[in-house]
Amino acid sequence: MSVRSDFRSRKVYSVSEVNRLVAGMLADYFYDIWVRGEVSNLKHYPSGHLYFSLKDEGSQIQAVCFRSSAQLLKFRLEDGLEVICHGRLEVYQPTGKYQIVLDQIEPAGLGALQKAFEQLKRKLAKEGLFDDARKRPLPKLPRVLGIVTSPAGAAIHDMLKTLRLHKARLKVLLFPVQVQGEGAAEQIAEGITVLADRQDVDVIIVGRGGGSIEDLWPFNEEIVARAIAASKKPVVSGVGHETDFTIADFVADVRAATPTAAAQLVARGWTEAEERLEELVPRVRELVEERLLDMEQRLSELVRHRAFELVRARLAEQRHRLEIGVARAEAGLKAVLNGAASHWLELHNRLTAQNPVERLMRQKTRLVGLASGLQTGIGRQLSVVNSRLASAMGRLDGLSPLSSLKRGYSICQKRDGSVVTRIGQVTVGDDVRVRVSDGNLECEVRGFEKQDIGG
Amino acid sequence: MAKSEKPEQPIDFEQALAELEAIVKQLEQGNLSLEKSLELFGRGVELAKLCKKRLSEAELRVSQLVKEQEGLFREVPFEEEPED
Repeated sequence: MSVRSDFRSRKVYSVSEVNRLVAGMLADYFYDIWVRGEVSNLKHYPSGHLYFSLKDEGSQIQAVCFRSSAQLLKFRLEDGLEVICHGRLEVYQPTGKYQIVLDQIEPAGLGALQKAFEQLKRKLAKEGLFDDARKRPLPKLPRVLGIVTSPAGAAIHDMLKTLRLHKARLKVLLFPVQVQGEGAAEQIAEGITVLADRQDVDVIIVGRGGGSIEDLWPFNEEIVARAIAASKKPVVSGVGHETDFTIADFVADVRAATPTAAAQLVARGWTEAEERLEELVPRVRELVEERLLDMEQRLSELVRHRAFELVRARLAEQRHRLEIGVARAEAGLKAVLNGAASHWLELHNRLTAQNPVERLMRQKTRLVGLASGLQTGIGRQLSVVNSRLASAMGRLDGLSPLSSLKRGYSICQKRDGSVVTRIGQVTVGDDVRVRVSDGNLECEVRGFEKQDIGG
Repeated sequence: MAKSEKPEQPIDFEQALAELEAIVKQLEQGNLSLEKSLELFGRGVELAKLCKKRLSEAELRVSQLVKEQEGLFREVPFEEEPED
């Protein structure tokens, strides 16, 4: 009755109104709730939206994760996964069914990122992307180094500083990217691909400085991992700090603990080359000197060797014998020569005997002989003449003025030897010599007296 | 004309270093004639000079790729921002 009596005053809602009212109330009360449940009946729509049920032992609720949120998920949603979700309740008015619209989904238990990391790691490992066989050695002396990192971060600064410090003689080609936040992974992946496809690039470093796990997250993204795996050039990863491991590290050909370490690895070849060069040059010299010394030593050892003593002894003996031989030969030769000489002399004599000059000489000799004979004969005759002359002279002696002197006569002579026979021959003061029988008187004319004798 | 101006294709640093290493290895084996040793020594000194020259020439150059349009990049010098 009362129902009927209230008929006019009844408030009647349309279906749409009910749903709208409910929608409004749900929205007011359940706009910010956390729900824990298990994922089931998961559907990926081409639009990018995710539809699934969240359930527990006794109940279930429809859930939707629209594309804008779905693409921010750090892990892959799968059936059976226990998750904690955040969202709001919403009534789908065409059906009047309500659902929960999720903007965050995290794996329950592990952190969302950790879960995502583990999942991707497992998946890529299964594909063999981490296999050692895939790892390529770094070029020893790279000429062009591609770097994918932020142009403004500490990482590029550290890397360039390290490269300069190690005197890496190369060109750096930086592909500037965002290293965190939305779109970072795509940029990083593009950088790797672009650099890897360039002919001039020899090796690539991909990395960034330290940060939170969220900051480093792009390096855990599949797209980056795929780009590294597909790179035509060896890739060195240097992400965060020593303790940070990213998916990029596992896929890279070489994992460096930090960007600085990555730069060191790339520069190492140049550093080593320079050091090696410093060693090699003196080593070459040393080896050649060693070789020379060794040869010298071997030579002097050989010279001192006993075998050489024997040879030397034999040589001495040979020399001795040779000397004897030479002496004999000389003697023999001399004999032969002497023989020849005497023969020659004889010939010579015979020959000269026929020589006209020789004959003349001979005749001259005979002539001389005759002449001397003649002289002897003459000499003899002369002595006969001489003795006859002497006796004649003896006999003449009595007639000499000298005998008159003995008898007391003297001869007066002038200085010129002329005999003074007249007064007029001298004047007063003249020196005269008066010869007596046994000598001379030296006299001066003091005066004279003319004597008239018989005349 | 231009061709004759250019000397022989210059030997690459890595090649030169490798040849130098090979020379040392050969010399270390020690069963070479003295002439050959000296010849290798001469070549070694030449290579070492070359390597050192290359090392002194090369320096770190840094440039970055700037996107002109999709798939097209231009290389420009990279100026490092001063550290604070």
